[in-house]
Amino acid sequence: MSESRWPRRQLLTGAIGVGAGAVAGVGATLGSQRYAHADEPAQPDHVEFHGAHQAGIVDAAPARSTFVSFDVLAADRAQLTELLTTITRRARFLTAGGTPPNPGITAPPDDSGILGPQVPADRLTVTVGVGASLFDHRYGLGDRRPTHLRPMRTFPNDDLDPAWCHGDLSVQFCAPNPDTVIHALRDVTRATRGAMQIRWKLDGFVPPPRPSGTPRNLMGFKDGTANPDAADAHRMDQVVWLGREAGEPAWTRGGSYQVVRLIRMRLEFWDRISTAEQELLFGRRRDNGAPLDGTHEHDAPQYAKDPVGSAIPLTSHIRRANPRTAKTASSILLRRPYNYDRGVDAVGDLDMGQLFVCYQRDLAAQFEAVQTRLIDEPLVDYITPFGGGYFFALPGVRDDHDHYGSALLA
Amino acid sequence: MRRARRTAVIAATALLALAGCTGHDGGEVALTVSRSGCATEWHDPHGGEQTFRVHNVGINTTEVELVDPANGAVYAELENLGPGATRPMQVTLGRGRYAFRCLPEDTDAVTGPTVTVTDGPKRGAPAIVPVDEQVLRGPVDTYRSSVQHAFPTLRRDVRRLAAAVRSGDRAAARRAWLPAHLDYERLGAAYGTFGDLADAIDRLPAGLPKGVHDPGFTGFHRIEYGLWHGESLPALRKPADALSADVAKLVTQFRTERVDPNDLPLRAHEILEMTLQFELTGEADQGSGTTLATARANVDGTVAVLDALRPVLRSRFRGLSAADAALHKLRTLLDAQYRHGTWTPVDDLSAPQRRAIDGAAGEALERLAPIAALAQVRRAQ
Ligand code: HEM
Repeated sequence: MSESRWPRRQLLTGAIGVGAGAVAGVGATLGSQRYAHADEPAQPDHVEFHGAHQAGIVDAAPARSTFVSFDVLAADRAQLTELLTTITRRARFLTAGGTPPNPGITAPPDDSGILGPQVPADRLTVTVGVGASLFDHRYGLGDRRPTHLRPMRTFPNDDLDPAWCHGDLSVQFCAPNPDTVIHALRDVTRATRGAMQIRWKLDGFVPPPRPSGTPRNLMGFKDGTANPDAADAHRMDQVVWLGREAGEPAWTRGGSYQVVRLIRMRLEFWDRISTAEQELLFGRRRDNGAPLDGTHEHDAPQYAKDPVGSAIPLTSHIRRANPRTAKTASSILLRRPYNYDRGVDAVGDLDMGQLFVCYQRDLAAQFEAVQTRLIDEPLVDYITPFGGGYFFALPGVRDDHDHYGSALLA
Repeated sequence: MRRARRTAVIAATALLALAGCTGHDGGEVALTVSRSGCATEWHDPHGGEQTFRVHNVGINTTEVELVDPANGAVYAELENLGPGATRPMQVTLGRGRYAFRCLPEDTDAVTGPTVTVTDGPKRGAPAIVPVDEQVLRGPVDTYRSSVQHAFPTLRRDVRRLAAAVRSGDRAAARRAWLPAHLDYERLGAAYGTFGDLADAIDRLPAGLPKGVHDPGFTGFHRIEYGLWHGESLPALRKPADALSADVAKLVTQFRTERVDPNDLPLRAHEILEMTLQFELTGEADQGSGTTLATARANVDGTVAVLDALRPVLRSRFRGLSAADAALHKLRTLLDAQYRHGTWTPVDDLSAPQRRAIDGAAGEALERLAPIAALAQVRRAQ
């Protein structure tokens, strides 16, 4: 840990001279990208809840989210089943929208009312995952644990706070509006009171494209550009969804390993370094997201033509994360990050960063392989993972008669 | 500051819950009410989700209820519908007989024509036979006598505390503090009735300009603060004697004070709302680390309220046994934190222990909450 406290900025300085030249070189082609999203088709008002896979994973991230880790208090397997059935029932209603029943004079109102008398679906998604701890002695599920599901590892650059790590269940709520997210969270926690308790919770937001293309993170860089195409179902079967996997329990089919990492950004520090240095840290341009050897956001970096990293440093985030070699192709994963804002820290700096979420079929071969390559990347001086967890996003709820975890608990 | 003063807003709360509802297309029926007629326009009733737009064309503020004419059970209500106002009443109607009942201010109730629903779902929204002051008289008496029954012990233990403080033996004074405080906390439900004395006896420093050093900081927690923060015992004589005097005053006052019958159903969940906010967070702790003991005493206070209300609830509250079970679970979890004569300070709980207790308290609260709504006093005729 002590070693990681020392800034590693010097590691990059060698490359800066080279990189700065590259930046100047491509600067001439600025502004070639225009508003790509202007004529998008109107979106339907709800996201289908039922299906082979859960929503909220491969669909584009709407503007608001909250990621909540719960510990289950249910006393036994039957109560756990009841809990998951209740979450299913509430999620089914909330994602479809409708009029909450009126309890008359028999009880306080069923609904918090913050969305008005009729609950709009507002494209809400509810995504439920299970953590490794759910497979301990309590519910007799030990032999059904997804093979790779363990408590999240501590990586060398982490500074994990136990209060912000792990959990029995993860529930991610996403919607275009913050009140929809809060409404859903209050509804679900109320309906399940006593059966699970919040362990930690972090709210996320994604800005609109500025001015076009992929939305930017709080460091000013487009974030998500090189993601595999989430609209390509075949690709998602390769990268995200578990099929008939060797060595995995059959119930996992249709689910996905979900990794969440709560990563603080040192934004004040970040704002004090030059654009060129920022760009070398990521390997992409800040203005339009193009790789430093390219022109447009979606140009593919040509690492083979740049073996020593004179355009895109070998230590840059994108080159470490995905060296784009035949050997590393199997480590590609799907990221679905949000920004977070947690207030102010002890020295008056902004406690903001990334609520990093990614999905994959194989925790070790994908997330852990990528994260291992990123160990001691120069970017670590500006970011500090402080929490998160490994979860397994359950297979989808098939229809009105199905519920979350039905195959797991069968 | 710890006493919830909810009685005054009850009517408005119920009203908001209903005012927020509008019906499905086609399920809307416009009705008028006044002293001379109560929703006489309802001729063609249908089952399912319905919204009645009730317009008060009279000159009196009126309560409007949709009832089962056989027994007066209420399906839905609009409280305080002012002259000229229109408000929606949303309800799901099952098959059966219905009538509107209007209770205009200062005049007799008027019941509208009985209508019969023959289509739609078999069962609709639940109905409850309303509770009036008469019905609550028994529970209030039961509750009053249980409080009065507890007073002698409270007085004795508070006097012992004062004596221990005067003796100058800090250890003895600390030992005497908790039993006296718990005697008081077990009365929980009486916050509202104890008026300003409740503040003097059991207030927290919050809200006082000088906090724990404010002369207005009195009562149990003032003494607790001194005993556990090394204040000299002679300096604590005054607050200890004042506490004795205030408790004596309370006992005298209570004999003649009227218990608002509405208080009782409210307290069913309010006591534990306070527990969650002040005891399970540890906020109330002034050094003794006994907020879990207080929480445990508050569970007893809640059970006393529930027991008093039981005759009224048995026929009206389907969730009664679930509420009992939730309280039992909470009590068991709290009892486990009393070992070898001491209570675990809330901050010493492991995170899982804490979540289990907080979760059980939350569950008990959800289960108890309907009681305030369904046993609220409603006008009889
Ligand atoms: C605060 C933390 C992070 C920030 C600010 C960040 C930012 C970025 C940015 C700006 C890009 C380039 C644009 C893009 O392709 O999306 C990128 C790419 C990428 N990042 Fe991160 N990232 C962070 C953490 C992580 C973590 C924890 C992982 C996984 C372990 C990761 C994996 C990747 C991958 C796989 C790529 C795509 C590389 C490629 O295929 O070219 N990132 N990231």
